Amino acid sequence: MSAGDYFRDNLGRLLFHLTGMGALSVFLLLTDTAGGIVTIILIVWVLGLILALAVDFARQRKRLEELWAILDGLPQKYLFMECAPKPHTEYERGLYQIMRTAGKSMIGEVSAVRRQQKDYREYIENWVHEIKVPITAIRLICENNRGDTTRKIMPQLAQIEEQVERSLYYARSEQVERDFVIRRTTLAAVVDAALAKYRTLLIQNGVCVETKNLDIPVYTDAKWLEFIIGQMLSNSVKYCGEQAVITIAAVNDADGTRLCITDNGIGIPAAELPRIFDKGFTGSNGRLRGGATGMGLYLCKKLTAHLNVDLSAKSVENEYTSMILCFSAILTKL
Amino acid sequence: MSKIVIIEDEKSIRDELCLLLVNAGYEAVVTEDFSDTVSWVLAQSPDLILLDVGLPGQDGYALCSAIRRASEVPILFVTSRDTSMDELKALSLGGDDFIVKPYNIPVLLARIQAILRRGGTAAGESLTVNGLSLYLSRSSIQHGDAAMDVTKNESRILWCLMQRPGEIVSRADMIEFLWDNQVYIDDNTLSVNMTRLRTKLRELGLENYIRTKRGMGYKI
Repeated sequence: MSAGDYFRDNLGRLLFHLTGMGALSVFLLLTDTAGGIVTIILIVWVLGLILALAVDFARQRKRLEELWAILDGLPQKYLFMECAPKPHTEYERGLYQIMRTAGKSMIGEVSAVRRQQKDYREYIENWVHEIKVPITAIRLICENNRGDTTRKIMPQLAQIEEQVERSLYYARSEQVERDFVIRRTTLAAVVDAALAKYRTLLIQNGVCVETKNLDIPVYTDAKWLEFIIGQMLSNSVKYCGEQAVITIAAVNDADGTRLCITDNGIGIPAAELPRIFDKGFTGSNGRLRGGATGMGLYLCKKLTAHLNVDLSAKSVENEYTSMILCFSAILTKL
Repeated sequence: MSKIVIIEDEKSIRDELCLLLVNAGYEAVVTEDFSDTVSWVLAQSPDLILLDVGLPGQDGYALCSAIRRASEVPILFVTSRDTSMDELKALSLGGDDFIVKPYNIPVLLARIQAILRRGGTAAGESLTVNGLSLYLSRSSIQHGDAAMDVTKNESRILWCLMQRPGEIVSRADMIEFLWDNQVYIDDNTLSVNMTRLRTKLRELGLENYIRTKRGMGYKI
Protein backbone atom coordinates (compact mmCIF):
# COMPACT_ATOMS: atom_id res chain seq x y z
CA MET A 1 0.00 0.00 0.00
CA SER A 2 1.49 3.30 -1.09
CA ALA A 3 0.76 6.76 0.37
CA GLY A 4 -1.19 7.54 -2.81
CA ASP A 5 -3.42 4.51 -2.26
CA TYR A 6 -4.02 5.54 1.32
CA PHE A 7 -4.81 9.11 0.22
CA ARG A 8 -7.41 7.86 -2.28
CA ASP A 9 -8.94 5.56 0.36
CA ASN A 10 -9.33 8.51 2.75
CA LEU A 11 -10.49 11.11 0.26
CA GLY A 12 -13.91 11.31 1.89
CA ARG A 13 -12.46 12.00 5.29
CA LEU A 14 -10.16 14.71 3.86
CA LEU A 15 -13.03 16.41 2.09
CA PHE A 16 -15.02 16.37 5.33
CA HIS A 17 -12.14 18.04 7.20
CA LEU A 18 -11.62 20.63 4.43
CA THR A 19 -15.31 21.45 4.47
CA GLY A 20 -15.15 21.69 8.26
CA MET A 21 -12.16 24.05 8.07
CA GLY A 22 -13.90 26.19 5.49
CA ALA A 23 -17.12 26.39 7.49
CA LEU A 24 -15.29 27.20 10.73
CA SER A 25 -13.19 29.91 9.04
CA VAL A 26 -16.31 31.55 7.57
CA PHE A 27 -18.09 31.37 10.94
CA LEU A 28 -15.08 32.79 12.89
CA LEU A 29 -14.49 35.59 10.35
CA LEU A 30 -18.20 36.50 10.41
CA THR A 31 -18.03 36.64 14.24
CA ASP A 32 -15.15 39.13 14.00
CA THR A 33 -12.31 36.81 15.02
CA ALA A 34 -8.93 38.13 14.02
CA GLY A 35 -7.50 36.66 10.78
CA GLY A 36 -4.29 35.64 12.61
CA ILE A 37 -6.19 33.49 15.08
CA VAL A 38 -8.15 31.81 12.30
CA THR A 39 -4.85 31.06 10.55
CA ILE A 40 -3.36 29.56 13.72
CA ILE A 41 -6.45 27.39 14.30
CA LEU A 42 -6.28 26.17 10.70
CA ILE A 43 -2.55 25.43 10.93
CA VAL A 44 -3.02 23.42 14.15
CA TRP A 45 -5.97 21.58 12.61
CA VAL A 46 -4.02 20.71 9.45
CA LEU A 47 -0.96 19.59 11.43
CA GLY A 48 -3.12 17.48 13.74
CA LEU A 49 -4.87 15.93 10.76
CA ILE A 50 -1.61 15.16 8.97
CA LEU A 51 -0.19 13.57 12.13
CA ALA A 52 -3.30 11.45 12.71
CA LEU A 53 -3.36 10.30 9.08
CA ALA A 54 0.37 9.56 9.07
CA VAL A 55 0.11 7.43 12.20
CA ASP A 56 -2.92 5.61 10.82
CA PHE A 57 -1.16 5.04 7.47
CA ALA A 58 1.95 3.68 9.15
CA ARG A 59 -0.12 1.34 11.30
CA GLN A 60 -2.14 0.02 8.40
CA ARG A 61 0.97 -0.49 6.31
CA LYS A 62 2.77 -2.30 9.10
CA ARG A 63 -0.22 -4.56 9.62
CA LEU A 64 -0.40 -5.44 5.93
CA GLU A 65 3.32 -6.14 5.77
CA GLU A 66 2.96 -8.44 8.74
CA LEU A 67 0.14 -10.35 7.04
CA TRP A 68 2.08 -10.59 3.77
CA ALA A 69 5.07 -11.98 5.63
CA ILE A 70 2.90 -14.73 7.14
CA LEU A 71 1.40 -15.51 3.74
CA ASP A 72 4.79 -15.62 2.04
CA GLY A 73 6.07 -18.04 4.63
CA LEU A 74 3.23 -20.49 3.99
CA PRO A 75 3.67 -23.13 1.31
CA GLN A 76 -0.08 -23.76 1.20
CA LYS A 77 -1.59 -20.29 0.86
CA TYR A 78 -5.10 -21.47 1.59
CA LEU A 79 -4.06 -22.19 5.18
CA PHE A 80 -3.47 -18.46 5.77
CA MET A 81 -6.44 -17.86 8.02
CA GLU A 82 -5.23 -20.62 10.35
CA CYS A 83 -2.10 -18.57 11.00
CA ALA A 84 -3.46 -15.02 10.80
CA PRO A 85 -2.98 -12.85 13.96
CA LYS A 86 -5.95 -12.03 16.17
CA PRO A 87 -8.01 -9.02 14.97
CA HIS A 88 -7.70 -5.68 16.81
CA THR A 89 -10.88 -3.83 15.85
CA GLU A 90 -14.51 -4.83 15.39
CA TYR A 91 -14.21 -4.23 11.66
CA GLU A 92 -11.15 -6.50 11.45
CA ARG A 93 -12.94 -9.07 13.58
CA GLY A 94 -15.76 -9.14 11.04
CA LEU A 95 -13.38 -9.60 8.13
CA TYR A 96 -11.45 -12.19 10.11
CA GLN A 97 -14.59 -14.23 10.71
CA ILE A 98 -15.60 -14.10 7.06
CA MET A 99 -12.16 -15.11 5.79
CA ARG A 100 -11.82 -17.83 8.37
CA THR A 101 -15.12 -19.38 7.32
CA ALA A 102 -14.08 -19.18 3.67
CA GLY A 103 -10.67 -20.69 4.47
CA LYS A 104 -12.22 -23.52 6.48
CA SER A 105 -14.48 -24.46 3.63
CA MET A 106 -11.49 -24.38 1.25
CA ILE A 107 -9.43 -26.62 3.52
CA GLY A 108 -12.35 -29.03 3.71
CA GLU A 109 -12.66 -29.12 -0.07
CA VAL A 110 -8.95 -29.61 -0.57
CA SER A 111 -8.70 -32.50 1.85
CA ALA A 112 -11.81 -34.11 0.39
CA VAL A 113 -10.28 -33.95 -3.11
CA ARG A 114 -6.97 -35.25 -1.77
CA ARG A 115 -8.71 -38.16 -0.15
CA GLN A 116 -10.63 -38.92 -3.33
CA GLN A 117 -7.45 -38.77 -5.36
CA LYS A 118 -5.68 -41.06 -2.95
CA ASP A 119 -8.59 -43.51 -2.98
CA TYR A 120 -8.64 -43.44 -6.76
CA ARG A 121 -4.93 -43.99 -7.02
CA GLU A 122 -5.13 -46.91 -4.63
CA TYR A 123 -8.01 -48.32 -6.60
CA ILE A 124 -6.03 -48.02 -9.85
CA GLU A 125 -2.99 -49.65 -8.27
CA ASN A 126 -5.05 -52.50 -6.93
CA TRP A 127 -6.86 -52.88 -10.19
CA VAL A 128 -3.55 -53.09 -12.03
CA HIS A 129 -2.30 -55.76 -9.63
CA GLU A 130 -5.53 -57.70 -10.10
CA ILE A 131 -5.45 -57.47 -13.89
CA LYS A 132 -1.87 -58.72 -13.91
CA VAL A 133 -3.06 -62.07 -12.59
CA PRO A 134 -5.10 -63.03 -15.68
CA ILE A 135 -2.46 -61.46 -17.96
CA THR A 136 0.17 -63.68 -16.36
CA ALA A 137 -2.11 -66.67 -16.65
CA ILE A 138 -2.76 -66.01 -20.36
CA ARG A 139 0.95 -65.65 -20.97
CA LEU A 140 1.70 -68.94 -19.24
CA ILE A 141 -1.09 -70.68 -21.15
CA CYS A 142 0.33 -69.33 -24.44
CA GLU A 143 3.81 -70.52 -23.50
CA ASN A 144 2.54 -73.98 -22.59
CA ASN A 145 0.57 -74.26 -25.84
CA ARG A 146 2.89 -72.70 -28.39
CA GLY A 147 1.44 -72.42 -31.85
CA ASP A 148 0.35 -69.99 -34.53
CA THR A 149 -2.65 -68.79 -32.55
CA THR A 150 -0.68 -68.09 -29.40
CA ARG A 151 1.98 -66.30 -31.45
CA LYS A 152 -0.79 -63.95 -32.57
CA ILE A 153 -2.18 -63.57 -29.06
CA MET A 154 1.16 -62.67 -27.47
CA PRO A 155 1.69 -59.28 -29.15
CA GLN A 156 -1.91 -58.30 -28.37
CA LEU A 157 -1.29 -59.25 -24.78
CA ALA A 158 1.87 -57.17 -24.78
CA GLN A 159 -0.19 -54.17 -25.88
CA ILE A 160 -2.67 -54.70 -23.06
CA GLU A 161 0.23 -54.89 -20.66
CA GLU A 162 1.78 -51.69 -21.93
CA GLN A 163 -1.46 -49.76 -21.54
CA VAL A 164 -2.07 -51.20 -18.08
CA GLU A 165 1.40 -50.26 -16.98
CA ARG A 166 1.04 -46.77 -18.35
CA SER A 167 -2.12 -46.17 -16.35
CA LEU A 168 -0.29 -47.35 -13.24
CA TYR A 169 2.56 -44.93 -13.76
CA TYR A 170 0.14 -42.15 -14.56
CA ALA A 171 -1.56 -42.68 -11.22
CA ARG A 172 1.84 -42.79 -9.56
CA SER A 173 3.23 -39.69 -11.21
CA GLU A 174 0.81 -37.57 -9.18
CA GLN A 175 1.99 -38.71 -5.77
CA VAL A 176 5.47 -40.09 -5.78
CA GLU A 177 6.73 -40.25 -2.24
CA ARG A 178 5.55 -43.75 -1.50
CA ASP A 179 7.15 -46.01 -4.04
CA PHE A 180 10.25 -44.20 -4.94
CA VAL A 181 13.62 -45.73 -4.09
CA ILE A 182 16.87 -44.23 -5.29
CA ARG A 183 19.54 -46.90 -5.37
CA ARG A 184 22.75 -47.59 -7.18
CA THR A 185 22.27 -49.42 -10.43
CA THR A 186 23.92 -49.38 -13.83
CA LEU A 187 22.51 -48.08 -17.08
CA ALA A 188 23.26 -51.49 -18.61
CA ALA A 189 21.09 -53.29 -16.06
CA VAL A 190 18.14 -50.96 -16.60
CA VAL A 191 18.45 -50.95 -20.40
CA ASP A 192 18.70 -54.76 -20.50
CA ALA A 193 15.59 -55.06 -18.32
CA ALA A 194 13.66 -52.70 -20.60
CA LEU A 195 14.83 -54.57 -23.70
CA ALA A 196 13.82 -57.89 -22.15
CA LYS A 197 10.36 -56.50 -21.52
CA TYR A 198 9.94 -55.26 -25.08
CA ARG A 199 11.73 -58.21 -26.65
CA THR A 200 8.69 -59.68 -28.40
CA LEU A 201 7.62 -56.36 -29.90
CA LEU A 202 11.13 -55.47 -31.05
CA ILE A 203 11.89 -58.87 -32.59
CA GLN A 204 8.56 -58.99 -34.33
CA ASN A 205 9.22 -55.64 -35.96
CA GLY A 206 12.71 -56.69 -37.03
CA VAL A 207 14.45 -54.10 -34.92
CA CYS A 208 18.18 -54.26 -34.21
CA VAL A 209 19.41 -52.68 -31.01
CA GLU A 210 22.98 -51.56 -30.48
CA THR A 211 24.10 -50.79 -26.96
CA LYS A 212 27.27 -48.82 -26.31
CA ASN A 213 29.17 -47.83 -23.20
CA LEU A 214 26.38 -48.57 -20.74
CA ASP A 215 28.47 -49.85 -17.83
CA ILE A 216 27.97 -46.61 -15.95
CA PRO A 217 26.62 -46.57 -12.39
CA VAL A 218 23.70 -44.25 -11.69
CA TYR A 219 21.64 -43.49 -8.63
CA THR A 220 18.01 -43.69 -9.61
CA ASP A 221 14.81 -45.67 -9.27
CA ALA A 222 15.48 -48.58 -11.61
CA LYS A 223 11.82 -49.49 -12.10
CA TRP A 224 10.84 -46.00 -13.18
CA LEU A 225 13.80 -45.61 -15.50
CA GLU A 226 12.99 -48.99 -17.01
CA PHE A 227 9.44 -47.83 -17.67
CA ILE A 228 10.67 -44.57 -19.25
CA ILE A 229 13.13 -46.36 -21.54
CA GLY A 230 10.38 -48.85 -22.40
CA GLN A 231 8.11 -46.02 -23.53
CA MET A 232 10.85 -44.76 -25.81
CA LEU A 233 11.47 -48.21 -27.29
CA SER A 234 7.76 -48.54 -27.90
CA ASN A 235 7.72 -45.15 -29.67
CA SER A 236 10.70 -46.09 -31.80
CA VAL A 237 8.91 -49.23 -32.95
CA LYS A 238 5.71 -47.29 -33.60
CA TYR A 239 7.49 -44.75 -35.79
CA CYS A 240 10.19 -46.89 -37.38
CA GLY A 241 11.08 -47.12 -41.02
CA GLU A 242 12.67 -49.94 -43.04
CA GLN A 243 15.68 -51.65 -41.45
CA ALA A 244 15.02 -50.22 -38.01
CA VAL A 245 18.03 -49.76 -35.76
CA ILE A 246 17.89 -48.35 -32.23
CA THR A 247 21.13 -47.18 -30.69
CA ILE A 248 21.31 -46.88 -26.93
CA ALA A 249 24.51 -45.15 -25.92
CA ALA A 250 25.79 -43.28 -22.91
CA VAL A 251 28.25 -40.41 -22.86
CA ASN A 252 30.06 -39.26 -19.74
CA ASP A 253 31.17 -35.66 -19.45
CA ALA A 254 31.74 -32.97 -16.87
CA ASP A 255 28.02 -32.20 -16.47
CA GLY A 256 27.14 -35.82 -15.84
CA THR A 257 25.94 -38.68 -17.99
CA ARG A 258 23.76 -38.51 -21.05
CA LEU A 259 21.85 -41.59 -22.15
CA CYS A 260 20.76 -41.26 -25.77
CA ILE A 261 18.16 -43.54 -27.30
CA THR A 262 18.31 -42.91 -31.02
CA ASP A 263 16.32 -44.56 -33.78
CA ASN A 264 16.50 -44.22 -37.54
CA GLY A 265 12.75 -43.79 -37.87
CA ILE A 266 10.53 -41.22 -39.51
CA GLY A 267 11.52 -38.44 -37.11
CA ILE A 268 9.52 -35.51 -35.80
CA PRO A 269 8.81 -32.30 -37.79
CA ALA A 270 10.83 -29.41 -36.37
CA ALA A 271 7.69 -27.37 -35.76
CA GLU A 272 6.25 -30.09 -33.52
CA LEU A 273 9.41 -30.90 -31.59
CA PRO A 274 8.87 -28.35 -28.78
CA ARG A 275 5.42 -29.77 -28.06
CA ILE A 276 6.02 -33.53 -27.98
CA PHE A 277 6.14 -33.64 -24.17
CA ASP A 278 2.78 -31.85 -23.84
CA LYS A 279 -0.15 -33.82 -22.52
CA GLY A 280 -2.36 -35.14 -25.30
CA PHE A 281 -0.11 -33.94 -28.11
CA THR A 282 -0.10 -36.52 -30.90
CA GLY A 283 1.41 -34.60 -33.82
CA SER A 284 1.12 -35.33 -37.52
CA ASN A 285 2.91 -38.70 -37.22
CA GLY A 286 0.59 -39.84 -34.49
CA ARG A 287 -2.46 -38.87 -36.52
CA LEU A 288 -1.16 -40.53 -39.70
CA ARG A 289 -0.10 -43.81 -38.09
CA GLY A 290 -2.78 -43.90 -35.42
CA GLY A 291 -2.53 -45.41 -31.97
CA ALA A 292 -1.03 -42.30 -30.40
CA THR A 293 -2.55 -41.09 -27.16
CA GLY A 294 -0.19 -38.22 -26.44
CA MET A 295 0.39 -39.66 -22.99
CA GLY A 296 3.64 -41.63 -23.24
CA LEU A 297 6.16 -38.82 -23.55
CA TYR A 298 4.12 -36.56 -21.27
CA LEU A 299 4.39 -39.22 -18.57
CA CYS A 300 8.10 -39.70 -19.25
CA LYS A 301 8.70 -36.01 -18.81
CA LYS A 302 6.78 -35.97 -15.56
CA LEU A 303 8.55 -39.01 -14.17
CA THR A 304 12.02 -37.82 -15.20
CA ALA A 305 11.35 -34.57 -13.38
CA HIS A 306 10.77 -36.56 -10.18
CA LEU A 307 13.96 -38.53 -10.82
CA ASN A 308 15.93 -35.31 -11.30
CA VAL A 309 16.79 -36.36 -14.82
CA ASP A 310 16.54 -33.90 -17.67
CA LEU A 311 14.69 -35.27 -20.68
CA SER A 312 15.03 -33.67 -24.11
CA ALA A 313 14.66 -34.70 -27.73
CA LYS A 314 16.41 -34.09 -31.02
CA SER A 315 15.13 -35.09 -34.39
CA VAL A 316 15.47 -34.61 -38.13
CA GLU A 317 12.48 -35.64 -40.16
CA ASN A 318 12.96 -38.89 -42.09
CA GLU A 319 16.36 -39.37 -40.50
CA TYR A 320 16.33 -39.96 -36.77
CA THR A 321 14.79 -39.24 -33.40
CA SER A 322 16.97 -39.08 -30.33
CA MET A 323 15.69 -39.04 -26.76
CA ILE A 324 18.28 -37.76 -24.35
CA LEU A 325 18.19 -38.49 -20.63
CA CYS A 326 20.66 -36.31 -18.81
CA PHE A 327 21.76 -37.47 -15.34
CA SER A 328 23.50 -34.69 -13.46
CA ALA A 329 26.97 -35.52 -12.14
CA ILE A 330 25.63 -35.96 -8.63
CA LEU A 331 23.50 -38.92 -9.75
CA THR A 332 26.46 -40.76 -11.24
CA LYS A 333 29.35 -40.00 -8.89
CA LEU A 334 27.85 -40.22 -5.44
CA MET B 1 16.40 -82.97 -11.24
CA SER B 2 15.88 -79.76 -9.28
CA LYS B 3 12.79 -79.55 -7.12
CA ILE B 4 10.89 -76.28 -7.17
CA VAL B 5 8.13 -75.37 -4.77
CA ILE B 6 5.49 -72.97 -6.08
CA ILE B 7 3.65 -70.92 -3.46
CA GLU B 8 0.90 -69.19 -5.37
CA ASP B 9 -2.76 -68.86 -4.41
CA GLU B 10 -4.15 -68.16 -7.88
CA LYS B 11 -5.12 -71.54 -9.27
CA SER B 12 -4.81 -70.71 -12.97
CA ILE B 13 -1.29 -69.36 -12.57
CA ARG B 14 -0.27 -72.15 -10.22
CA ASP B 15 -1.33 -74.88 -12.63
CA GLU B 16 0.22 -73.29 -15.71
CA LEU B 17 3.43 -72.41 -13.92
CA CYS B 18 3.67 -75.96 -12.70
CA LEU B 19 3.21 -77.26 -16.25
CA LEU B 20 5.79 -74.79 -17.57
CA LEU B 21 8.40 -75.89 -15.05
CA VAL B 22 7.72 -79.57 -15.66
CA ASN B 23 8.11 -78.96 -19.42
CA ALA B 24 11.36 -77.15 -18.70
CA GLY B 25 12.63 -80.27 -16.93
CA TYR B 26 12.10 -79.45 -13.29
CA GLU B 27 10.13 -81.20 -10.60
CA ALA B 28 7.43 -78.80 -9.47
CA VAL B 29 5.40 -79.07 -6.25
CA VAL B 30 2.38 -76.96 -5.35
CA THR B 31 0.07 -76.54 -2.39
CA GLU B 32 -3.53 -75.42 -2.11
CA ASP B 33 -3.49 -75.18 1.63
CA PHE B 34 -1.88 -72.05 3.05
CA SER B 35 -2.55 -72.65 6.74
CA ASP B 36 0.90 -73.94 7.73
CA THR B 37 2.95 -73.18 4.66
CA VAL B 38 6.32 -72.89 6.41
CA SER B 39 6.47 -76.43 7.76
CA TRP B 40 5.02 -77.78 4.53
CA VAL B 41 7.76 -76.05 2.50
CA LEU B 42 10.51 -77.21 4.83
CA ALA B 43 9.18 -80.76 4.68
CA GLN B 44 9.50 -80.68 0.89
CA SER B 45 13.19 -79.69 1.12
CA PRO B 46 13.14 -77.98 -2.29
CA ASP B 47 16.06 -76.59 -4.31
CA LEU B 48 14.18 -73.38 -5.01
CA ILE B 49 11.00 -71.62 -3.87
CA LEU B 50 8.87 -69.46 -6.15
CA LEU B 51 7.03 -67.21 -3.73
CA ASP B 52 4.05 -64.94 -4.38
CA VAL B 53 3.56 -61.96 -2.08
CA GLY B 54 -0.23 -61.67 -1.91
CA LEU B 55 -1.30 -64.85 -0.15
CA PRO B 56 -4.23 -65.70 2.10
CA GLY B 57 -3.22 -65.40 5.76
CA GLN B 58 0.51 -64.88 6.09
CA ASP B 59 1.88 -62.83 3.18
CA GLY B 60 4.95 -63.69 1.15
CA TYR B 61 7.28 -61.36 3.04
CA ALA B 62 6.40 -62.89 6.39
CA LEU B 63 6.69 -66.35 4.89
CA CYS B 64 10.11 -65.54 3.49
CA SER B 65 11.56 -64.44 6.80
CA ALA B 66 10.00 -67.46 8.53
CA ILE B 67 11.57 -69.83 5.99
CA ARG B 68 14.90 -67.99 6.26
CA ARG B 69 15.02 -68.66 9.97
CA ALA B 70 15.13 -72.39 9.27
CA SER B 71 16.66 -72.76 5.81
CA GLU B 72 19.02 -71.22 3.27
CA VAL B 73 17.01 -72.48 0.31
CA PRO B 74 16.98 -69.94 -2.58
CA ILE B 75 13.76 -67.91 -2.73
CA LEU B 76 12.59 -66.19 -5.90
CA PHE B 77 9.81 -63.68 -5.34
CA VAL B 78 7.20 -63.64 -8.08
CA THR B 79 4.71 -60.86 -7.57
CA SER B 80 2.55 -58.27 -9.24
CA ARG B 81 3.73 -55.65 -6.72
CA ASP B 82 6.28 -53.93 -8.85
CA THR B 83 7.75 -50.94 -7.03
CA SER B 84 11.40 -50.64 -6.09
CA MET B 85 10.24 -50.52 -2.48
CA ASP B 86 8.67 -53.98 -2.83
CA GLU B 87 11.85 -55.28 -4.40
CA LEU B 88 13.99 -53.80 -1.66
CA LYS B 89 11.78 -55.35 0.99
CA ALA B 90 11.86 -58.76 -0.66
CA LEU B 91 15.64 -58.77 -0.99
CA SER B 92 16.26 -57.43 2.50
CA LEU B 93 14.11 -60.20 3.98
CA GLY B 94 16.37 -62.79 2.41
CA GLY B 95 14.86 -63.24 -1.05
CA ASP B 96 17.43 -64.16 -3.72
CA ASP B 97 15.70 -62.50 -6.64
CA PHE B 98 12.54 -60.61 -7.46
CA ILE B 99 10.55 -60.90 -10.64
CA VAL B 100 7.41 -58.99 -11.53
CA LYS B 101 4.21 -60.37 -13.00
CA PRO B 102 3.36 -60.54 -15.83
CA TYR B 103 6.83 -61.90 -16.36
CA ASN B 104 8.58 -62.61 -19.55
CA ILE B 105 8.70 -66.41 -19.51
CA PRO B 106 12.24 -66.89 -20.90
CA VAL B 107 13.41 -64.33 -18.36
CA LEU B 108 11.71 -66.24 -15.56
CA LEU B 109 13.30 -69.51 -16.67
CA ALA B 110 16.70 -67.85 -17.06
CA ARG B 111 16.51 -66.44 -13.52
CA ILE B 112 15.50 -69.82 -12.11
CA GLN B 113 18.41 -71.41 -13.93
CA ALA B 114 20.80 -68.74 -12.70
CA ILE B 115 19.75 -69.14 -9.07
CA LEU B 116 19.95 -72.94 -9.19
CA ARG B 117 23.36 -72.73 -10.80
CA ARG B 118 24.58 -70.33 -8.13
CA GLY B 119 23.81 -72.91 -5.47
CA GLY B 120 25.29 -75.85 -7.38
CA THR B 121 28.06 -76.06 -9.93
CA ALA B 122 29.51 -72.95 -11.54
CA ALA B 123 28.41 -71.96 -15.02
CA GLY B 124 30.28 -73.84 -17.72
CA GLU B 125 32.23 -71.24 -19.59
CA SER B 126 33.34 -73.61 -22.30
CA LEU B 127 31.65 -76.22 -24.46
CA THR B 128 33.02 -78.84 -26.83
CA VAL B 129 30.83 -80.38 -29.52
CA ASN B 130 32.03 -82.45 -32.49
CA GLY B 131 35.65 -81.47 -32.00
CA LEU B 132 35.06 -77.73 -31.75
CA SER B 133 35.59 -75.96 -28.43
CA LEU B 134 34.03 -72.62 -27.60
CA TYR B 135 35.46 -70.48 -24.77
CA LEU B 136 32.84 -67.91 -23.86
CA SER B 137 34.92 -65.73 -21.54
CA ARG B 138 37.76 -65.44 -24.06
CA SER B 139 35.44 -65.28 -27.08
CA SER B 140 37.53 -67.80 -28.97
CA ILE B 141 37.06 -71.14 -30.72
CA GLN B 142 39.49 -73.99 -31.05
CA HIS B 143 39.65 -76.98 -33.40
CA GLY B 144 42.61 -79.26 -32.91
CA ASP B 145 45.60 -76.94 -32.58
CA ALA B 146 44.06 -74.07 -34.52
CA ALA B 147 42.37 -71.34 -32.50
CA MET B 148 40.57 -68.23 -33.62
CA ASP B 149 38.84 -65.23 -32.04
CA VAL B 150 35.13 -64.71 -32.59
CA THR B 151 32.92 -61.69 -31.90
CA LYS B 152 30.43 -61.61 -29.05
CA ASN B 153 27.55 -62.15 -31.47
CA GLU B 154 29.25 -65.11 -33.14
CA SER B 155 30.11 -66.75 -29.83
CA ARG B 156 26.52 -66.41 -28.62
CA ILE B 157 25.20 -67.94 -31.85
CA LEU B 158 27.55 -70.89 -31.47
CA TRP B 159 26.68 -71.20 -27.78
CA CYS B 160 23.00 -71.38 -28.66
CA LEU B 161 23.54 -74.21 -31.17
CA MET B 162 26.15 -76.09 -29.16
CA GLN B 163 23.87 -76.31 -26.14
CA ARG B 164 21.45 -78.35 -28.20
CA PRO B 165 23.62 -80.61 -30.39
CA GLY B 166 21.66 -82.69 -32.88
CA GLU B 167 18.57 -80.52 -32.47
CA ILE B 168 17.22 -78.18 -35.11
CA VAL B 169 17.10 -74.65 -33.72
CA SER B 170 14.72 -72.32 -35.56
CA ARG B 171 15.83 -68.80 -36.47
CA ALA B 172 13.04 -67.37 -34.30
CA ASP B 173 14.20 -69.38 -31.28
CA MET B 174 17.77 -68.40 -31.98
CA ILE B 175 16.96 -64.70 -32.10
CA GLU B 176 15.03 -64.99 -28.84
CA PHE B 177 17.98 -66.77 -27.23
CA LEU B 178 20.33 -64.05 -28.45
CA TRP B 179 18.11 -61.28 -27.05
CA ASP B 180 18.09 -63.04 -23.70
CA ASN B 181 21.89 -62.91 -23.84
CA GLN B 182 22.17 -59.20 -24.59
CA VAL B 183 22.67 -59.59 -28.34
CA TYR B 184 19.87 -57.52 -29.84
CA ILE B 185 19.85 -58.40 -33.54
CA ASP B 186 17.22 -58.92 -36.22
CA ASP B 187 16.82 -61.62 -38.86
CA ASN B 188 19.09 -59.98 -41.46
CA THR B 189 21.87 -59.33 -39.00
CA LEU B 190 21.62 -62.93 -37.88
CA SER B 191 22.19 -64.02 -41.50
CA VAL B 192 25.22 -61.76 -41.80
CA ASN B 193 26.68 -63.03 -38.53
CA MET B 194 25.98 -66.61 -39.52
CA THR B 195 27.84 -66.16 -42.84
CA ARG B 196 30.86 -64.64 -41.07
CA LEU B 197 30.86 -67.40 -38.49
CA ARG B 198 30.78 -70.07 -41.20
CA THR B 199 33.71 -68.41 -42.98
CA LYS B 200 35.72 -68.58 -39.75
CA LEU B 201 34.74 -72.21 -39.22
CA ARG B 202 35.80 -73.02 -42.78
CA GLU B 203 39.20 -71.46 -42.09
CA LEU B 204 39.50 -73.87 -39.16
CA GLY B 205 38.74 -76.71 -41.55
CA LEU B 206 35.18 -77.21 -40.36
CA GLU B 207 33.18 -76.99 -43.55
CA ASN B 208 29.46 -77.61 -42.90
CA TYR B 209 29.88 -77.59 -39.12
CA ILE B 210 26.59 -75.75 -38.90
CA ARG B 211 24.04 -77.29 -41.22
CA THR B 212 21.06 -75.41 -42.59
CA LYS B 213 17.72 -77.16 -42.53
CA ARG B 214 15.79 -75.26 -45.15
CA GLY B 215 12.69 -73.62 -43.74
CA MET B 216 13.35 -75.05 -40.28
CA GLY B 217 16.55 -73.67 -38.89
CA TYR B 218 20.10 -74.68 -38.04
CA LYS B 219 21.69 -77.73 -36.51
CA ILE B 220 25.09 -78.85 -35.29
